[in-house]
Formats: sequence, structure tokens, C-alpha cells
Amino acid sequence: METRSFLSLEDTSREELREILDLATAFASGRVTDALVHKTICLAFFEASTRTAVSFELAARRSGAHVISLSERGSAISKGESLIDTVVTLDSLGADAIVLRHPAAGAAALASRHTSAPVINAGDGCGQHPTQALLDLYALADALGGFDELAGRRVAIVGDILHSRVARSVIPGFVRAGVEVSLVAPRTLLPPDVEAWELPVLSSVNDAVGWGADVLYMLRLQKERMTGARIPSVAEYARFYGVSRRHLKNGVLVMHPGPVNRGVEISGDVVLDSSSLIADQVAAGVCVRSAILALSTGAVQRAAA
Amino acid sequence: MILEETVPTELVIRGAHVLDPSSGLDGVTDVRISSGMISEIGEGLRGTREIDADGLHLFPGFVDVHAHWRTPGREDEETIETGSAAAAAGGFTGVVMMPNTDPIVDRPVVVSGLVRRVERESRVRARVSAALHVGLAGERLTEMRLLKEAGAFCVSDDGLGTASAGVLRNGMLYARSAGLPVILHCEDHTLATGVVHDGVAASLAGLPGSPASAEDAATATALILAAETGAKVHITHVSTALSAALVGFFKDRADVTSDTTPHHLTLTDDLVSTLDGLYRVNPPLRPDDDRDGVEVALRDGVLDFVATDHAPHASEEKELPMEEAAPGFLGHETAFAALYTDLVLGGRLSLARLVETMSCAPGRWVGEGGTLRVGEPADLTLVDLSEEWAVDLGAMISRSSNSPYWGRTLTGRIVSTIVGGELVHDRTGAGFGVRA
Repeated sequence: METRSFLSLEDTSREELREILDLATAFASGRVTDALVHKTICLAFFEASTRTAVSFELAARRSGAHVISLSERGSAISKGESLIDTVVTLDSLGADAIVLRHPAAGAAALASRHTSAPVINAGDGCGQHPTQALLDLYALADALGGFDELAGRRVAIVGDILHSRVARSVIPGFVRAGVEVSLVAPRTLLPPDVEAWELPVLSSVNDAVGWGADVLYMLRLQKERMTGARIPSVAEYARFYGVSRRHLKNGVLVMHPGPVNRGVEISGDVVLDSSSLIADQVAAGVCVRSAILALSTGAVQRAAA
Repeated sequence: MILEETVPTELVIRGAHVLDPSSGLDGVTDVRISSGMISEIGEGLRGTREIDADGLHLFPGFVDVHAHWRTPGREDEETIETGSAAAAAGGFTGVVMMPNTDPIVDRPVVVSGLVRRVERESRVRARVSAALHVGLAGERLTEMRLLKEAGAFCVSDDGLGTASAGVLRNGMLYARSAGLPVILHCEDHTLATGVVHDGVAASLAGLPGSPASAEDAATATALILAAETGAKVHITHVSTALSAALVGFFKDRADVTSDTTPHHLTLTDDLVSTLDGLYRVNPPLRPDDDRDGVEVALRDGVLDFVATDHAPHASEEKELPMEEAAPGFLGHETAFAALYTDLVLGGRLSLARLVETMSCAPGRWVGEGGTLRVGEPADLTLVDLSEEWAVDLGAMISRSSNSPYWGRTLTGRIVSTIVGGELVHDRTGAGFGVRA
């Protein structure tokens, strides 16, 4: 069986995206079951995570896999074992796939060069978070009526793009799916060479709505960014880079990878509004990650790979 | 604004030598002002209200991007009313007010309050610079977008300089997003530990010196960051030859402009030997070779314009030993005359370049005034280039009297200053009434 690591969306084609999301739909509908029976999935989380860890674990167990979870506490990671030594150990113990979360960008790619088992990037530093972008595409396609409905839609990605692994996967993933993407952030929260993405850079959520955004994709503003070095105050940030009810006329949708800072990037009354896909994003995580695990381990063969 | 209703809206200035490099005017002609705008330029204009300006020069109004009017907080030193009257007396029609007041101009409510007061109390067009960092402390960014909405024209950490390169870089990036220019006072405080320039004069006097490197290192850092961040940056009061050369290197590599002051162009650290706190200023007066380098840079267009750094201080803050005195000089009232006397009459700068650097270039920078064309606001300065006058500290229009030119006789005196068609300073004796 052919296995394949899953590190980023940068080289993923539109047809591959469609295939992954179709497979996820098959998992969600129950048409594919027990795909991972006799497989051993190792979750190696070098950084705290709630929704990603839980949804990978559910994705593996519901398809019949054995799951081994390593977290920073209670494993050799806390004894200072290196990333490479940890993943080589897991590989040697016979893992069929290693799901890796790590605080440093490039960790998943580094790990994959030292293992025979495929490595699935569950978020590496400010690098990539490809399964997040896939579940976002799944949730959005579902809300719009199908994968082909994504083409030509306008999505404004708002917030701390500089420090966001979510943005670095959502941008190429959404662009490849045919979505028109714009970026909304102060220059202090954008990479210095943001022009490399060749995307419009807008200066407020108001401007994004004026640009014709169908979706406002709000990024989380980390607490440590609120101290004044990169943004002056929560009040100014919320005013220009936060979404509130007045932005949601004409069917504009709101997405967020979680966890939400209510009153910062999203006003409290919008989080669970009907315009919000936040709960749908979380729900999509399980079937999408089942599909990724199945494709990576070779349990389901890819057509377009 | 008080006289707005009672004064006729038309005025003809007859027979002045009109000089404006931005429009190419250089000769005797008449200028008609209607409803606050320049409406006609040509020979033989007549009007119900005329100023006979025979023998005088008419320039676009001077613009000073660096003024401390000490309001709010030190109204004993200067107010918007006295500061703007001093500016008008110096021929300035536009000014940028620096934020190092008490309270510091770092919150939207302070900006909006100042903007409202300026509308009522200022004789000239005064713009508000807000702080780049909260408390001018070089740590937390100010709410620049809200400050801009409240009416701030630019941001600056003037008077203190900025703590670290990393902090300054983020400040520039954020200012760029907010669409605000940044005015930078470049001094590295780990180097600028003295009270005068660290040179021969300081050594002989036994005064702690601040080396030129304090300015040069900070200027280099600011320029490099300006180039990298794409922010619109203005380096104020360049005082060394090396800093001027650095500005020149970055002129085509960054969105950067720069100014120097009348005092750095006309005075040197010879004055250190007086041991008189009056002559303390930041950056300090420099030796001859730096003064020469700054003059050449202004002449050659490397430095874009002149700004005064008008910094009033109460006498109890200046009549002190150098080490205890507050740094800063009055600037508005003497700027043109000092530069005309020393540089133009000294044969070192053309009158046209002086007008370019006091009116046209800073007017372009603030986006208003600085040009004498039909359809533009009538912001004008009428000057008698032959009048000699003694700088008398008792006769300053500013509320303070800390002018480094006291006791000197200067040539060239502002006769009238006109803002939006209204006389805001007038020594013609025409008796039209001055807006106050």
C-alpha cells in the first residue's frame, strides 16, 4: 500500500482537494466505515491542543484504528527527547501514521525525513495546519452547496496572518479551490513580503465587506499580541479588525479556527449567529481527518495522487 | 475667525516682488485674493481693499512642521494663541504641533480636544501630531487609527526619541497601516548622555558631551527601518554632516524626507563657552564642519526643508547652568531673518532656495499651502528684505523669550502674514484689522 505524508497544501491540486473532500463526505455519510482497522495511529503532540487532538483521535477510533497519544506531559518528550528521536521511536514501534503537532515551523517536514511511516502535520509553529484548511473548505463547501460552489467566492482572511499557520494553509488551499482571497491586517501582523502571495491587502473588515467578501475568515489574536507592541489596544483592534453584526448583512458568513476571543476578533453576539460556520468547522474536523488518515496510510488509494 | 463676518473677502496686494519656485513666479506683479483663495495674478489689478507692497517680497506662506506650543500643560510657556501669533509674526501660515505636552497627545480624546481648540484659538493652520507610543515611552503603540479619526495629522516621539529598533520598526509598520506619516527625532539615548556636543568646546568647558554618533546611529537605524517598512518617515532637525549624508543615501530607497533648523544652520558649539543654559538644545549645536555639511545638504536638496523646533521655555528653566537648563530655542519669529541674514546675504544660499525650503517643500509635505497659484488657498508672507531689526527678548510675541539670537541685529522682516485671505499678522499700517 502506498503511504504518503501530509505536510502542507502548497502542492495540492484542485482535483486532490475535491477527492479529499469527497472522501470526507463518504466518511461523514457512513458510506466508508472501518477503513483504519488494524492500523496504529500515533498522536504526538508537542504543544497543547484541544480540538485538533480530540478530532484526530475520534477520526482514528471511529474508523477502527488503534490510537496511541503522546503529549508533552507524561512522555519522553518532557524528558527532553528530541523530535527526531521521538518520531523514530514511534516509527520503530510500528506506527502506521504519526500525527504531529509541534511549536516549530518545519517540524513535520523534518520528522517525515526520518520515518518510514507517513507524518501528518497537525500544526507546526507558524508554518502549516493543512487539516484545518481542509475542514474549513469542507464546511464552507457544505454551506454553499458543494465543492464547485467555492469557485469565484470571495474570502477575506482577517487578523494575525504573520503568526498564523492556519493562514499559511488556508491561503493556498482556498486559492487552489478557486476562491478569491484577500488579507486584512495591520502591517505589524503581516509578513514583510506579503506581496509574494499576490493577494489584495485591505485595511479593515469594513473594507473587506466593501471588497465584496462572501466570507470573513477571522484569525485568533493571541493574548501575547495584545500588549501593545504590534497592536495598540483591543479597542482599536476590535474596531478595525473585528467582525460585528453590522458586517453580516447580505448573507456574509463568518469562519474562525477557534478558540474565539469574544469581543476581540468576533463580537460576542456573532459567535453562534446563523451567519457563523464556527460550529460547522469543528464538526467537519472528524470526517476530514478520517479521510486524511485513510489516504496517508494507504487504507484508501488516492486517484489523483 | 472673529473678523470673518466684518472684513470684506477681497484683497489685492499690489506691486510686490512675487517669488515662488513652485510656480516659477519671480518678478513684480499683483495678486488678488477672493474668498480666501488666490483668484488672479497679473499686472494692474485693483480692488476695494489694497495693500501697497511696493519694495516688498511676497512668498507662499512658510510652513513649520516642528513646533512646541506647550498646550496643554505648560500654558505659562506658550499657548495656542501666543504660539500661533509668534508663528504668524515669523511668516508661518502652517504649523505641526508636537505631542510632548502634559497630558501627552497619545489618546484620541486629547487629539480631538486640541483640534477643536486650534479652530478657535490659532491664527495659522495648526496640525496635531500625536504620539507614536503611549506616554512617549517607546513601548506600546498608540491607537493610531483612532487618533487619525480624531484629527491627528502625523505621529512622532519627538523630544525623547524611540527606545529600540524593534519597537520603532513596529511603530513604522503600524503607522503605515494607519496612513500616518512619522516624524522622528533621532537620538540614541545610550549615547546622548551629555548636555552639549561632545567636542573641543565641551572638553574645554568641562561639560558632559553627547557625541555626533548619538544622532548618526539613530538616524541610520531610522532610515534603514523606513526603507524596510515602507513607512512615510520624516527625519527632523538633522544637525550633523554624516546624518545629512545618510539621508542622501536613502533618498531614493525609502519614502523619507528631512529637515534641519535655522539654529543648526547659523549657530555652532562656539556658544558652549558662554556656559549659558540658554544655548542648550537637542540635538546640540555642532562644530563648523557639521554646520557646513548641513548647509550644503540643504542647498543641494539632500535635506528637504527647514523646521524651527520652536521650543519655548520659562526663564526659570533657561537661566541656569548648561547642565541644569532645559534644552530648546524659540524659533518661529527669527527663522526667516536668521537664515536670510546669515545664508542668503552671506552668499551661501539663494533666496529662491530659502523660499523653497521654508514654504514650498514643507507645504507639499503637509499637503496644503506652500504654493502661490490661482485656485490655491491664499496663505502668503509679505517680507521687507531691507529692514534691519534687533532681536529684543522683551519684544518677543511668544510667551517665552529663549531666543538664541537675542542681541543680534537681523535683516529681513515679516511685514504681513495672510492665512486663507485673512491678515493674521500685519505691520503695513493698512488698518484692515488682524484676525485674532
